[in-house]
Amino acid sequence: MTLASISEKVSAGIPLSFDDGVALFREPDLLKLGALANQVREQRHGDRTTFNRNLHINPSNLCVAGCPLCSFSRRSPEQPGAYTLSLSQAWDKLKARFAAGDPVTEVHVVGGLNDSLPFDYYVELLAGLKRLQPALHIKAFSAVEIFHLHKLFHLEVREVLRRLVAAGLGSLPGGGAEIFAPRVRQRICPNKCNAEEWLDVHRTAHELGLRSNCTMLYGTIETIEERVQHLLRLRALQDETGGFQTFIPLAFHPDNNALSQLPAPTAVDDLRVCAVSRLLLHNIPHIKAYWVSLGIKTAQTAQWFGADDLDGTVQEEKIYHLAGSEAPQSLTPAEIVHLIRAAGRTPVERDTLYNVVAQGQALPAGPSPVRGQP
Amino acid sequence: MSQRLRLTAVSFLNARPVTYGIEQGLVGAERFDLRFAEPSRCAAAVAAGEADLGLMPIASYAASAEELRVVPGIGIASRGPVRTVVLVGQVPWEEMTAIALDGASRTSQMLARLLTRGRGLHPDFVEVAHDQIADAVVGTRGALIIGDLGLHIDGRFRHVYDLGEKWHSLVGLPFVYAVWAGRPGVVSTEDVALLQESLRLGLQRRAEIGRAWALDNDVDPALGENYLLENIRHRLTSDEISGATAFLARSHQAGLLAKLMRVRLFDAPAPLQPQPRSAPSLDHLLADAAAGERLSLDEGVRLYSEAPLFDLGQAADLRRQALHPESVVTYIIDRNINYTNACTTCCSFCNFHRSPGHPQAYTLSREELAQKLRETVELGGVQVLLQGGINPDLSLAYYQDLFRYMKANFPLAIHGLSPEEISYLSQREDLPVRTVLERLVAAGLDSVPGGAAEILDDEIRRRISPKKCSADTWIDVMREAHGLGLRTTATMVFGFGESPQQLLGHLDRLRRLQDQTAGFTAFICWSFQAEGTRLPLTDDTGSLRYLRVLALARLYLDNFPNLQVSWVTMGPAVGQVALRFGGNDFGSAMIEENVVATAGTVFKISASDIERCIRGAGFIPRRRNMRYEFID
Repeated sequence: MTLASISEKVSAGIPLSFDDGVALFREPDLLKLGALANQVREQRHGDRTTFNRNLHINPSNLCVAGCPLCSFSRRSPEQPGAYTLSLSQAWDKLKARFAAGDPVTEVHVVGGLNDSLPFDYYVELLAGLKRLQPALHIKAFSAVEIFHLHKLFHLEVREVLRRLVAAGLGSLPGGGAEIFAPRVRQRICPNKCNAEEWLDVHRTAHELGLRSNCTMLYGTIETIEERVQHLLRLRALQDETGGFQTFIPLAFHPDNNALSQLPAPTAVDDLRVCAVSRLLLHNIPHIKAYWVSLGIKTAQTAQWFGADDLDGTVQEEKIYHLAGSEAPQSLTPAEIVHLIRAAGRTPVERDTLYNVVAQGQALPAGPSPVRGQP
Repeated sequence: MSQRLRLTAVSFLNARPVTYGIEQGLVGAERFDLRFAEPSRCAAAVAAGEADLGLMPIASYAASAEELRVVPGIGIASRGPVRTVVLVGQVPWEEMTAIALDGASRTSQMLARLLTRGRGLHPDFVEVAHDQIADAVVGTRGALIIGDLGLHIDGRFRHVYDLGEKWHSLVGLPFVYAVWAGRPGVVSTEDVALLQESLRLGLQRRAEIGRAWALDNDVDPALGENYLLENIRHRLTSDEISGATAFLARSHQAGLLAKLMRVRLFDAPAPLQPQPRSAPSLDHLLADAAAGERLSLDEGVRLYSEAPLFDLGQAADLRRQALHPESVVTYIIDRNINYTNACTTCCSFCNFHRSPGHPQAYTLSREELAQKLRETVELGGVQVLLQGGINPDLSLAYYQDLFRYMKANFPLAIHGLSPEEISYLSQREDLPVRTVLERLVAAGLDSVPGGAAEILDDEIRRRISPKKCSADTWIDVMREAHGLGLRTTATMVFGFGESPQQLLGHLDRLRRLQDQTAGFTAFICWSFQAEGTRLPLTDDTGSLRYLRVLALARLYLDNFPNLQVSWVTMGPAVGQVALRFGGNDFGSAMIEENVVATAGTVFKISASDIERCIRGAGFIPRRRNMRYEFID
């Protein structure tokens, strides 16, 4: 499996095999790998890099899962730092953004597996956000959370989704996939739903007409083979449903969690995962370089290693920052526009479903200095 | 200079390409009078005034009673196996109780002694005449075989150790066996050009010279040809000078050399500028540059402006691989001590300085410094980088005292004072730059950092740092430093709105000086850090432009052996990726770095983080000193 033979397959539009994926992860020439991923990226997206204006709301960090990989969750309300937002506190975060003249097109809602909130809390949370901003897109609750609600309230997954959609749910984020291999899940997130359950939530969502994202957490204890298997399972579901919009590789950050003996992945690992994902996941339209996870500079570099999206302005990111991310808490639209231009790409503001919101002159003026370069 | 210059040279096969043009009467027939002699006689003839210039062993150069100068650009060296300096025996090196040394070569003797000690071995060394050396190998007595004899020993001994190879794997630098050397002033730049031309002609006929020698000596012609093509290198580039300096320093430290000698060169003729080819395609240009062909300034501008990022990166990566085929990425443990922030230069891009008398202005006390130096030693540091503001309270005597104190109390190399600081001291004391440098060297200065270069273009300097030394002054200080045998680095800070021509002009000035002096060990660039300074960010200083500039520098600076990545300013993530865009060194596991830290960059990583980054990029980490000599 040489890079040249893989390159031929890529040019001919032939899906890559498991062995191809392993060979790509082992390819020593990072730039050749990057150039190939970039070729695919530019064929699909030209030199555009998209971003959106979004707000993160993490309603509660109380969580029954207790995953060793996590720096965010608390087991009990008595633990220092444990919190649950009241509905009005959650809604106020959105109000504050609009009041500050800093509107968003998307709210991203994810949180812990809280076992004491009523189902209505989730319904009202979404409905209230929608009442405040009817045009807002709500991307909420990872498959792990949906599965938790299904178990907790004895409702079919389909029913959980249907009720949330009725309250305003627009799409599912891609979190909680981690690594599908049971060997790894057992060690890093033993109490999360398993691979089949995770995939089934997304399958059901896609059947209901929802779009969703998907992720892979890399850099813990997984092998290259386990990464490739993970990516191929995502690709197989996409072949069935076509419902995934974006794949987001997530770098493991080791601070303040039970896996802190592990070193964080380095930038070369980050770029490699990004590039291999672009090449293996031929049927998933977008690859996102999530700057909160990668740091701004690697997210910029990743725009040449297969990624075509930079996520959004992201206010109040908690999960990665508690795990040691040194990226800023948020970026202004002008800063993102500048970052994308500085990476040699053309910025385009999108909404959650990748409709163009603004481009060219309509974007906020740059360049503007970037605060605290990570 | 109408008198003929008397040259004396060894007649070993490896010297033939050096003397070829002269011997054949193709070069300097009117000017040179060439004689051949035994290696040790070459130095003696120069010492006795019987010859003006000798192609002499490096050890003889270093042991000379008078200070000699070396002809730039020409040497007899190897980077790996040499085949003509071999230790042989019927038992392994570790089991040799005695080693017979060939009396004809002091350099090889010293090398054998150094490497033997380096393995913790202490056999007896006995001198034997050149023609009896092979017969001296009996039982547990080994022998050092040198010269052409080494090419004939196939199969005669059970254990053969190539000392060129052993040196290279130990130190990571070439070994220099011999150089042209003579008293200061005996050769003109025209003579140097003729000597270089003689070698150029010899290199063209290397294969032929090797085959002819083999036929004369009744051995396989391929043997002589391969020896000259694959084992011996006849250039004296920055890497060879570092290798020779490392050898002389280690020999001095081991008590094998009485004085610590640096390699000091005669003045070199001005380099010829490459002619731009007739507009080759970008692909051709990149392929040529990746193969080591020299780019013209216009070609550099074109690649910088037009080449796709990956193509530029891949060409730079290929070039890096050709220069550093061992897949090693080096780093150093040192400490950047900014001994004062009081500064009168007031550069608009600097957020570190305070005017003298300002409440936040400081100069570190001896006690504060001592504390930092102790910590540096405890943390495994081998060097301090001393840089500070232009503080009118500090005299040359202050630095001399400081350096003497540091040298007397701490085992640390002093990499100190940028050309800006040195040029200021020269003005303040009304002394020539050379005198300032000589006094600093006598007090303990080991090497000079390449700071304050920014962009070597006076239009830009007037705009961002009007009180700083001019581009010419910066270059002149470095020329003087190199002339004294000091090794220095070179830097570039970009992102001040400079044009591609100005950026390439900077690289070109560095390349031209390096052609003449070979005194730079490394080039380091980074982008302007805007935060907290008085200069607005008007330029693209993102990671992608950094990678582009670095890759271009790798291709353009064909005479710079090392390119450091600047993780301190660009971040470890970009620094790591930059190892695939031409970088071969990860810089310093710095203990502190005030200047950049004040401008908002606060990266701190440990040596183990650095090693992880290096391994993650697919390289083997090694620790080095300022000469890029492995020390782990």
